[in-house]
Amino acid sequence: MISLTVNGAKRSVRSSPDTPLLYVLRNELGVMTPKFGCGLAQCGACSVLLGDEEIRACITPIAAVEGKEVTTVDGLPARWARQKKLSAAVAKGKLHPVQEAWIEEQVPQCGICQFGMMIKVTELLEANPKPTDAEIKTALTTSGPSPHLCRCGSYAAILDGAHRAAQLMRGEA
Amino acid sequence: MKILDAMSIHGANLSRRSLLGAGGALVVSLAVAPSLTRAAARAGSVLDATKAASWIEIHDDETILIRTGKCDFGQSSIYTAYRQIVAEELSVPVERITTVVTGDTDTTPDGGGTFGLLRGAQNLRKAAAYTREAVLELAARKYAVPRESLTVKDGVVSGGGHSATYGKLVAGQDLRLTIPVSGELTSFMGLQVTGAPPLKATKDYTVVGQPVKNPSLRPKMSGETVWVGDVKLPGMLHARVVHPATLGSTLVSAGKVDGKLFPTARAVVVGNLVGVVAEGEWEAIQAAQSVAATTKWSEWKGLPGSDKLYDHLREKVNWSELPAAKSQASSGDVTLAPGATAHEASYFFPFMKHAPISPTVSLADVRPDGSVVVHTHTQNPQQLRGSIAMMLGRPAADVVIRTYPGASHFGRSNGGNAGSEDEAVLLSRAVGRPVRLQWMRAEDMQWSTSSSASTSRIRIGLDAKGRIQSYQATHDSPPMQDDRLVGAVLAGLPNIGAPGPGNPNGVQGASMGVVDSWVYDKIANVAEEGRATYQIGQRESPLTLGIRDHSMRTPVQFQQNFPREVAISEAAALAGADPIQFRLDHLKDERFRSVLTRLRDESGWQTRPSPSPAARATGAEVVRGQGVSIMFRDQGYWACAAHIAVTPATGEVRVERVTLVMDLGIVVNPLQLKRQAQAGCLFGVSQALHEELSFDQGAITSSDWYSYPILTMAEMPEIKVVIAARPDVGDYGQGSESANALAAPAIAAAFFDATGKPARRIPLRPEYVKAMLA
Ligand code: FES
Ligand code: FES
Repeated sequence: MISLTVNGAKRSVRSSPDTPLLYVLRNELGVMTPKFGCGLAQCGACSVLLGDEEIRACITPIAAVEGKEVTTVDGLPARWARQKKLSAAVAKGKLHPVQEAWIEEQVPQCGICQFGMMIKVTELLEANPKPTDAEIKTALTTSGPSPHLCRCGSYAAILDGAHRAAQLMRGEA
Repeated sequence: MKILDAMSIHGANLSRRSLLGAGGALVVSLAVAPSLTRAAARAGSVLDATKAASWIEIHDDETILIRTGKCDFGQSSIYTAYRQIVAEELSVPVERITTVVTGDTDTTPDGGGTFGLLRGAQNLRKAAAYTREAVLELAARKYAVPRESLTVKDGVVSGGGHSATYGKLVAGQDLRLTIPVSGELTSFMGLQVTGAPPLKATKDYTVVGQPVKNPSLRPKMSGETVWVGDVKLPGMLHARVVHPATLGSTLVSAGKVDGKLFPTARAVVVGNLVGVVAEGEWEAIQAAQSVAATTKWSEWKGLPGSDKLYDHLREKVNWSELPAAKSQASSGDVTLAPGATAHEASYFFPFMKHAPISPTVSLADVRPDGSVVVHTHTQNPQQLRGSIAMMLGRPAADVVIRTYPGASHFGRSNGGNAGSEDEAVLLSRAVGRPVRLQWMRAEDMQWSTSSSASTSRIRIGLDAKGRIQSYQATHDSPPMQDDRLVGAVLAGLPNIGAPGPGNPNGVQGASMGVVDSWVYDKIANVAEEGRATYQIGQRESPLTLGIRDHSMRTPVQFQQNFPREVAISEAAALAGADPIQFRLDHLKDERFRSVLTRLRDESGWQTRPSPSPAARATGAEVVRGQGVSIMFRDQGYWACAAHIAVTPATGEVRVERVTLVMDLGIVVNPLQLKRQAQAGCLFGVSQALHEELSFDQGAITSSDWYSYPILTMAEMPEIKVVIAARPDVGDYGQGSESANALAAPAIAAAFFDATGKPARRIPLRPEYVKAMLA
């Protein structure tokens, strides 16, 4: 049994230690927002936060995250509530500002890549509250194991979404 | 249930039944017209008008439900434009349409492929018009006033001193409106609503034109939505397939599963289809890899190789084997006048992939009684249902297709299958359990269909004043619509026919017409011809699997518009004219003229001939250029300008800025249109810079995102989308597709402007660019 924290909850898993985190999350733990895109660390569809850092769940064996903290898009609202010390009543039904910005700016086309995009942008904005266009593009292209790919071509919308999310996280209207 | 009374509404039939219990609704159902013979027989109970397979339901709580056999593929139209179009026709606020039921073959009425979505919306638009007329008729009877005295606004019918909401008018009654339809449910186009109910005048539109947001995004982004890959069926097994070594290899011997290493896994062999199932997904993946390593396939070589594809198409293919097709615009005499100047060149467009971000995944549950439920993400569930039934030799009534959101795949499944469905069905049938089959990245690159390659020969004759005196084009391309189930091919089971002249279904034939609408209406002498061949390798392969082609974003028109527009820009250079002015000089159409003039203003265009005075084909310093392209598609007038930077020494091309101007008449939803156009445009930039399928003599060698690269965010140009709405036109054109086709010819023209060397092929990868500049 390997233990880890997923979206704030301690979980023990039966999967063999070499099983990639992605399949453990989706099949054993029922955490479905990380998507299968390539299984090769080439696209970012499976991105999750390990602590504060974006990693690719598709190539990360579960043994490598033993005892660590994994956050997926499902866990972003609670992460935000914790960071902002929001009371349960205030936090109820609220999404993370990145998710809100993605809806407000109508960012997704099909949306399958956006879970990884939102994870990467959360990583960026937690470290850099007011990024430039270039910093956002760099984060989503060269900062991780591979570029975060969007086949639908929603990059212009993602740029708008990232700036809007930064505003929301800074508490601006 | 007793029918109390019935009335005819513009050819539709409204009946009132005795009500069981509380509530009340007006349910718009299908009329089973006699013309529906084949579909009705195959579709069984789905077409029973008393069942839930209805179009529109008006409820007594003022909510409205609509159903469509189309699915969302990321453009949002069925949740935005469709609701707006129906709300408009009913004259209710768009928020009243609270439910959109989509796709599933047992709960939606019309079938047909998800493409040309606004055309597809005409079914629901008419159904809504029938419904509004029926409600008005109900009100007229209820208040004993003439129908003409009644009007409807914001969901309230009023006149003659009375007023009531839709909900009130249907409350306490069980109303059935039966509307006339024609067509075949499981065909490419599905059913069409017929008849001519009065449509609302477009000048009175208030809902169409609003920037309605996509309501499906909140549940998607919150993680609530169940995507196709998320579906879990009780007792299901995970599956992977092991596909042949080449497109013509047959099975010699299947590898065995090592029971010690993979205790729950087992291999399944059906003809040339090899699959592995296991209780766990990771076990299935590993077991399939070990089976693949020991499976033996026959050798086959029957492809030219992607590096020889152009020569193969130009020199080896017999383009007169199949009948050619002339364009409608062809007229006059294209013989060059003696001494005339002419631009003459060949252009090339490679095979490309739809390349969804998630590979195709589906689940199948073949039950002991032979009935089948397939869970998938498809653009044409009814046609998939028909072809799965055909493969199994069962009536379509035994097959249900359930649909879910998934990765967009841009036309790949508009004829039914996205790739994995039939293999999932065959594996489920073999093991007697529900099966979830996920193709891996390499399978999706190598075993799905590809967008057709194409070559074109174009000759443009100029008169002494530099005006086009003749335009001649021949477009050569393998066909565009291989809708066969690949698993059925491998297993040797009944299937839709391969593209070929004998295929009974026109769209799956082998002809290649001229699809790019002619726009230069001042040119008197035009000869355009399209020629087809069989799919590359199809006749050589023992499996009959060559490079399987399929429509993809702006199909055929992209392949033909690219050479036309690049050639027109080259002809402008030969005439010493500015490329935008040159186009204006050759077209009369007022809407095109205003789109082009607007483009000149909005894009920062420098009016001058190409190449640029600073053009250079050598050196490590960047050179810059501008290029233009235009297209008429789906009642839309489109123009695009690209500004690019080329580094001759490295062959690197950067697209710095793209400006799009579009006149689509009435714009249904400017917010969604802008996002669709931006995204489509970037898809096109990706195609122009990066995309080309690679293959050797036997197999497709593009297998991942490094061997089939697409655009990254850092490469994104600045995009300006200008929506030049023309509500006075009184009709709406289609939104998103043209945006993706326009980028490539504008970028190629900008390359010529920057370097003085023509770019007559895409993608503009460094190795090709260096050859062009040499
Ligand atoms: S699925 Fe993990 S990076 Fe593509
Ligand atoms: S929105 Fe479809 S892949 Fe990004």
